[in-house]
Amino acid sequence: MTITTISSKSQLLRIVVSMVLATILAGCASRPQWPEQDSLDTAANIEQRLVLDDVPFYAQERYQCGPASLAMMLNSQGLDTHPEVLKELVYLPERHGSLKVELVAAARAHGLLVYPLDGSLDSLLTEVAGGNPVLVMQNLRFGWWPQWHFAVVMGFDAENRNIILHTDTRDYHEETVEVFTATWDRAENWAAVMLPPDRLPATAEPLRYLMSANDLETTGRTLAAMTAYQTAEQAWPEQPAAIMGQGNIAWEQGQPGVATRHYLRLTRKFPGVAAGWNNLAHSLAAQGCATAAETATHCAAAINPERFDGTAPEIPSTDAKDTCPALQCPALSD
Amino acid sequence: MQTIRKHLRYVSFFMALVMAFGSVWASSAAAGMVGTGELLTEQRADLDRQSLMNMLERDEVKERLAQMGVSQDQVEKRIQSLTPAELSSFEQQLAEAPVGEDVVGIIVLFLLVFVVTDMLCATNIYPFINCIR
Repeated sequence: MTITTISSKSQLLRIVVSMVLATILAGCASRPQWPEQDSLDTAANIEQRLVLDDVPFYAQERYQCGPASLAMMLNSQGLDTHPEVLKELVYLPERHGSLKVELVAAARAHGLLVYPLDGSLDSLLTEVAGGNPVLVMQNLRFGWWPQWHFAVVMGFDAENRNIILHTDTRDYHEETVEVFTATWDRAENWAAVMLPPDRLPATAEPLRYLMSANDLETTGRTLAAMTAYQTAEQAWPEQPAAIMGQGNIAWEQGQPGVATRHYLRLTRKFPGVAAGWNNLAHSLAAQGCATAAETATHCAAAINPERFDGTAPEIPSTDAKDTCPALQCPALSD
Repeated sequence: MQTIRKHLRYVSFFMALVMAFGSVWASSAAAGMVGTGELLTEQRADLDRQSLMNMLERDEVKERLAQMGVSQDQVEKRIQSLTPAELSSFEQQLAEAPVGEDVVGIIVLFLLVFVVTDMLCATNIYPFINCIR
């Protein structure tokens, strides 16, 4: 008991200091800067004005910006749906609106990868310049009396400093960057692109993208997740999680042989990742490879003894159905 | 309420059992397959920790810390033991800083919150902070 009260005092001090910090920092908010042309890494088409014409527009009905915006996002990626259909999925009549999480979940349910942007204007424009419409959340009123709104950014005009959106009942609506960022800031700069899992967002970062892929995996969109992991592996060969994800999906689907092949690839390429050896041990054990499974188990424990205790997984049958690999564990050899 | 009090002993016994089973189950589950999410969380934390370490290499940061009488060694040690959540909260603060903002200030203030408050414990400057060492 005493331990908790004591640590809560130092916790309290932390909270006080961080609150002071927040107040100081909040005082420095500045006028939004239009990102430098060359910071938008779109090489060929840095145009003054860019509008994505292939984003269909659906005028929202009362309170239904969520389903309308989602329909625009989905159909721009070649899906064929309608706000009326999506309304069933994402509209809460008693709240007169949709929740952000529901829009995200619905997009995933349609097999798209939802990649949340980092919240900078720079990223937002880079995505649009890369051909991807961006779903944004805005607060049209004040922090203490919010009116949440969803819209789709599908263009910009650098010369006039305008953001171009499909919003409420207006298509190709142009808003100055000051007005847009003010409303966007009040919704914590939430923005996301929704793409088929074989396409990378223009601003994709390895870990953030892989976490989005993992969200597909954990929500049961297995095929889409598999494609996303493969896309990630191609784009970033240095990411172990991209390979491990493919192995884990194969394992979940009851294919230990396929899983083993992925885990073998993983451990050969990234021999320092303990989790890879651990999972390899399990898939090898399921294939009946006792010796190899034991080596893999010990290897995981040698790399990270705190996480892996070196207990080998149980072997269901002693006779190996497939040929068992001989493992080379660098952590055990030295 | 009164009825619950009367049976408090049994209730707490039951709760203790639940807790015990809970922890036993958790430890055996830890030996299974590792999910992709766990690896990602781990990697994210490593990356955040590395970037914080790199910031410590900046001269302005070193100077400011030296002024506060904090050795780089101590700070590095403390950074190694930061949790993934603490690290990501720092990355968040840094990301939310407006363009042109004094980044060194944010770094030093973060270190102040998470590192120096802990060291006050070590030196026991303020009587209202009690720490177990």
